[in-house]
Order: sequence, then structure tokens, then C-alpha cells
Amino acid sequence: MNHLSSETFKENAKAALADVQLRGALKNATSLFGERRKAAAASLPNWEDLRTHARAVKDEVLLHLDRYLEEFVRNAESRGATVHWARDAAEANSIICGLATERAARIVVKSKSMTTEETHLNDALEAAGMQVVETDLGEYIIQLAHEPPSHIIAPAIHKTRQQIGELFTAELGMPPTDNVDQMTSTARMKLRDRFAAADVGISGVNFAIAETGTIVIVENEGNIRLTTSLPRLHIAMMGIEKVIPRFADLDVFLKLLPRSGTGQRLTTYQSFITGTKRASTDEGPDELHIVLLDNGRSRMLAHPVTRQSLACIRCGACLNACPVYQQVGGHAYGSVYPGPIGAVITPQLMGIEKAAQLPYASSLCGACREVCPVKIDIPQLLLHLRGEISPRKGSRAERLAFKMWARVMTSPSLYRLSSVAGRILQRVMPISRAWTNGRDLRPIESKSFHDLWANE
Amino acid sequence: MSNSARESILGSIRTHLAASPAVDDQPVTSANPVIPSESDPVNRFKESVEAVSGHCIVATDAADVLKQILTDLNAQRVAYSDNPPNAHDIFHFDVGVSTAQAAIAETGTLVLDSDCERHRLVSLVPPVHIAIVNASSIVETLGDALTLLQKKEISPAITFITGPSRTADIELTLAIGVHGPQELYVIVDGSK
Repeated sequence: MNHLSSETFKENAKAALADVQLRGALKNATSLFGERRKAAAASLPNWEDLRTHARAVKDEVLLHLDRYLEEFVRNAESRGATVHWARDAAEANSIICGLATERAARIVVKSKSMTTEETHLNDALEAAGMQVVETDLGEYIIQLAHEPPSHIIAPAIHKTRQQIGELFTAELGMPPTDNVDQMTSTARMKLRDRFAAADVGISGVNFAIAETGTIVIVENEGNIRLTTSLPRLHIAMMGIEKVIPRFADLDVFLKLLPRSGTGQRLTTYQSFITGTKRASTDEGPDELHIVLLDNGRSRMLAHPVTRQSLACIRCGACLNACPVYQQVGGHAYGSVYPGPIGAVITPQLMGIEKAAQLPYASSLCGACREVCPVKIDIPQLLLHLRGEISPRKGSRAERLAFKMWARVMTSPSLYRLSSVAGRILQRVMPISRAWTNGRDLRPIESKSFHDLWANE
Repeated sequence: MSNSARESILGSIRTHLAASPAVDDQPVTSANPVIPSESDPVNRFKESVEAVSGHCIVATDAADVLKQILTDLNAQRVAYSDNPPNAHDIFHFDVGVSTAQAAIAETGTLVLDSDCERHRLVSLVPPVHIAIVNASSIVETLGDALTLLQKKEISPAITFITGPSRTADIELTLAIGVHGPQELYVIVDGSK
């Protein structure tokens, strides 16, 4: 199941709304995440200043992205890393498959990376004959279930513990249980065996520091540390927008990201990796390769509104805050990036014609903008994208209806006439089915405000 | 590969930026004031470690405390970061012992720097991690720690550790010790 397309959001959403278990899991998770984020943000007196500052840093980077990328590459390479540039998903996958194949790799361990989800790297590695093991617990669960992630930071958020217990029993031979500690230790045992045997470790990147050539990766479980320490080859894939100018900028981002994502002051582990180890007897991989992925990102620089999309630090807060995501979950979006941020970056990455329904998957309530740690104006972006879609898609009938509405609203006599007509017509004909299918339309009151005002 | 990919991506960045309306490019100023704290850094650090389910012991004789913890745990195989087993044997140890080069009071974070701590897997793979840190190495804030790390050429691997390994990937229920240790002991050596 569940490899849904973003072209069919409306149907996907309808199916999700009928799934009682899914809605229970979503309600539980999104409200808990939301409460924790709120408490964590409130614990810092200067939260708003931090957001403003972080956004200013991101804007600075994006306006000079070429320069900062070149600085990052120079510093990473001078300390022993090898950097690769990939224009699109196919190029990124072929670089990584090539590196693994040249070293006769058979077993690949991966830590969570949205960018490799975006390029469908696992399929490419498997096609090249490799065994690929996701090691983040949530990613491991969905890999066993053959499903895509449904949340940016909690990929298996749509599943109940009972469902995961049954999955582990079927796939891993775990004795039946819904005890979370037991499931966790089963995964630990199974994955340790793979870590010990792995030839390649593949990770994502949270921040890449131009000034030092450092990549920073944050986590709670410890699987990123294992992935980037045990195998002799470490490959890190990052979108080109992940670069930040200075090491000191981490202060603000490491305050915002964990608080917005999970409500923690700091996640359990941060790994700062700068090139390769200095002595061959030291711990760590012999080789570090960093893949810089464009895949549609540089296009977003062309307009100040779309450019904001590249400021995203992938915390997932907008998903939890969104009344649409809260009801339909991540799979309905048919994209590795769901929720409000997914609704704006998916059409830009995949092409607007492939995801034309997503910018409409929002009530424009603005909750996403309120929680965004880098102040991305997602409603503005949604409207901008709708503007790109509607000239192509708006029907003649729709245009005519709005024209008539404008006439009526600008003429007092036509307005009075229409409200009288509306009161009569609402008894005999349903208004718009497409509108009332999912909502209640309040009937027009028998007396208008004008009537009441005139009579009192 | 990749000269062409590199040129093509950088070219695309430049073209698209040039097409975009100009904006004021203002220098970024810091918006991150330091909030002074009343309690001393050692106490604050201890509270922060305990807030993330770690144990913290402030001692004048760290070696003695370490010995006591190892006895209490009945540890059979102990891996030390200054004399580590090879990377694959490490899976068979009960306890890993390391030092930390710095620590952060506001978050309860240990900072392990690969220049000194060349084998950091002892802090991750065994079910128990015991770390020893000098009281004088504790800094107040995350920002202070980042500044400290920049005082010299940055090491290839720096690891921040805040509490034992954890996950909440199943129904957001906290489970301790998923890939890393279930227990973290921090001994703050106050002798110097």
C-alpha cells in the first residue's frame, strides 16, 4: 500500500479520513509534538529574536549561495573530504552507487536522510545488488513495512504500537508484544549485526559550515554515530541549501531545531565531522564523500517568495501544527515532504503539474507560519503557487461566477435582491456540492442585518 | 563527472539569483544574548544531566568513584577510550569509559574531541557509558562551547552527548538505549 501519488491528493485524503487507526495515531502524535514544541519555545525568553536571526542567516546564505558553497567545498576538501555535485536525483544516485560498487560494497547502512528519500537512493542501491538497511528506528519500521515516511522527523508516526508489534513478529520473529521497550531492543539487536558487517554508511546532513567545511548531523538514537564511524566509507548527501556561513551560527540553529522538532533543548547526539581522520589508527572511516544535490533547488532562488522554501531546516513543526496534516497524515501528500512545507516544495521540486492539488491542501490558517523556526511565510508561498496554477486551470464558469459576484457585491440594489433570492433559492436547490460535501453551509438568516438595523 | 555538474549547478544558482529582484543585503547581527545564571556551572551541569535521565557525581577522587560504579554494576568487560578494543570487538563490552574535553552546563552536554578522544565508540556501543570531565572544563552555554572549539584547528570528529540514547519513534513513547547506552554516568572531577 501507500505509494500514493501527489496527483491524487483529494482521493488520498478521502481514504485517509476513513482510516480510524490512522487518525487516532495522528491526533496523539501531532498534539503531543505541538505541546512539547510550545513548552520548549516558551522556555527561551528570546525565541522571536532567535527566529529572526536564523532567517537572516539563511537569507544571507541564499543570496550568495554560489560563494558559500565554494567556500564549503574548499574547506571540506582541504581537510580530506571528496565533494561531488549532482544536478538531479539520477546523477546523485549514480555517483553513490558508483562509489559503493568500486569498493565492492555489499552491505549499506543508512541513517535518516530526507534527501536520499527524495532521490529514491535505496531502490538504486538495491538495483546495483546491495543490501540497504535503514537504521533509524522509525525508518527501519517503514522499510520493513515497505512504506514511505509519513513525517519528516518521525517517519512511522502513522503506525500504532500494535501494528508495529505485529510487523516485528512477522518480519523479525519477535514474540508477540506491544511493549515498546521490547520492540526497541529487538531492533537494536538486529541492527547491530548489520552495523558490524556494513561496508558503507550513508547519512544526511543538517548543517554544512562554509567556514570550516564541517558537516553537522543531529540525532537521538546513536545510529548516525554508528553509520558515520564503523564502515570504512562514509557518504553524506545534502541539498545545496544546507550550507550556513559560520561555525558560530550553529548556536542559533542548534537552539531552534531540536526545540521545534521534538521539544528538546538539545538532541542526544550532535556529530561535527570535518574531513577525514588524522591517523590511520584512529576511529572513523577512511574516506568521506559529500554529495551536493540540486534537483530543482537552484530554480527556487529566482523569486524572493519561492526562495524562502530553501530556508527550511526540516524540523517538522509545520506538519504538527497543520489542521490538514493532522487529519490526513503524510502519505496522502504522495511526496517524501508532506504537510505545509511539503505542499510548497513538492510542486517546485517535482514540477507543478505533478502536484497541482497540493497548494490547495490548506485552509491558509497560518499555523505553519506561526511555528516555523525560520519564519517561512508558507501561506504566502501557497498563494504564490496557486497563482501559477490558476491561470492554467481556472474554468470559464469559475471566472464568470467571480465576475458576477463582484457585480453584486459592488451594487447595493443587486446585493439586496440577491439576498432575497438566496433565501428562496436555498430551500429549493442545494448550493455547491463540491463545497458542502466536506463542510456545513449555514443557511441565510431570515432577516438580514440591514432589516434589523432599519427596524430597531 | 563533475566539473560539468559543478559548473552547471553554480551557473544555475547565479542565473536564478540574477533574475530575482534585488534586496537589501544586510549583515547579520547577533540576536542571542547571554542569559546570566545564578547557580554555579557545576551544579547547573549536574541538574541538566539529571534532567535528561543521566547520573552525575561530583567528586574529588574521580578514580575512586569510577571504581565504585564499576563494582556496583558488576562490570566484567570494560572498554577504555585510551586503550580501546578494535571497532568490531566493542560490541561485546559491558561498560565504556571515556573522558570529555568540555561540558555544557545549560544542556548537560559532554563534548568529546577526536584530538584527545580518538576512540569515541566506547561512549556509544556498550550498554553503559561512564564519562569523566574536569569541573574546570564546564562552560555555561552552547555558544561558549562552540567558541571554545574554534580556538584551535577544528578536529575531524567532535561529538556532543546529552543523556543516554533515546527514541520516540513508536507512538512518541520514550524508549532509552536504542542504539547507544541505556545508562550514562558523568563523574565531575572537582579536584583541580
